[in-house]
Amino acid sequence: MLNIWFGDMPDAIYDTSTYFKHTYRDQWITDPLSVEMIRDVDQSEVIGENLIQSPVLGAISPIQLSGGVKTLILISKVRDQVFNASKCGDNCAKWLLKIAETRKVVVNLRHLMDFGDGEFKIRVMNKKKIAHCMRELVLLAGEYV
Amino acid sequence: MKGKHTVKVSDKRVRYSFELVRNITVVQGNSGTGKTKLFDLVSAYSRMKDRSGVQIVCDKPCVALYADSDWQTRLGNTHDSIVFIDEDAEYISSHTFASTIRHTDSYYVIFCRESLHGLPYSVEEIYEIKTSKRLHT
Repeated sequence: MLNIWFGDMPDAIYDTSTYFKHTYRDQWITDPLSVEMIRDVDQSEVIGENLIQSPVLGAISPIQLSGGVKTLILISKVRDQVFNASKCGDNCAKWLLKIAETRKVVVNLRHLMDFGDGEFKIRVMNKKKIAHCMRELVLLAGEYV
Repeated sequence: MKGKHTVKVSDKRVRYSFELVRNITVVQGNSGTGKTKLFDLVSAYSRMKDRSGVQIVCDKPCVALYADSDWQTRLGNTHDSIVFIDEDAEYISSHTFASTIRHTDSYYVIFCRESLHGLPYSVEEIYEIKTSKRLHT
């Protein structure tokens, strides 16, 4: 399940791009989930571990991916850190839920991300309560962001 | 610094064109739309000017403020400019930052999804980047 701490969280990794730059492993990029996320969020195709084809920027390296995708990859691969998911736009929301389908995922959000009109299960850690839709999430988390 | 300022930033691959009408503009929106790329272009131009390969057309200097501990000093030395700040800068949500920029004469373009509680910006100055092929506005 996706667990979110809303608002300031001093121990969370705030600058996810710098953390990604210095910690990512080549095989993360060609992982099928990463390939899907890069295709969906950045509209770019993974050619190999060190090469991604962007429709706007041309051939780019993994560190030139968007901040949102880099943060998603970190969340999916690094389990002993909490990352600032406010680097992710609303187009990353479904991927946060997907990563958290099979295990407990903890992230920090400093804004209210739009998780869409559907139903979901998100634990608001500040309140120790579960939201099942955006209306519930806004009511639980609004005071913290 | 007052009034409208048109900013055009480009290299050989991408072009950005936009108009700033107030001293604080917040840029949000989906991931992968080119916010960090715009900051990188301004950052390169700040350091190397025309030798960066980046072109900036604006009636005011455009500078990038980095996510480092020296930001207050550099902000104090920046006047009558358009200052770009990327979302990796943790200080942007601090009261110190809000207090500091209130006493400057520059315009600010801040890439950030968080609420900037201490800053007097209007909802009309929260922008998203729209892409048309390689032109971003």
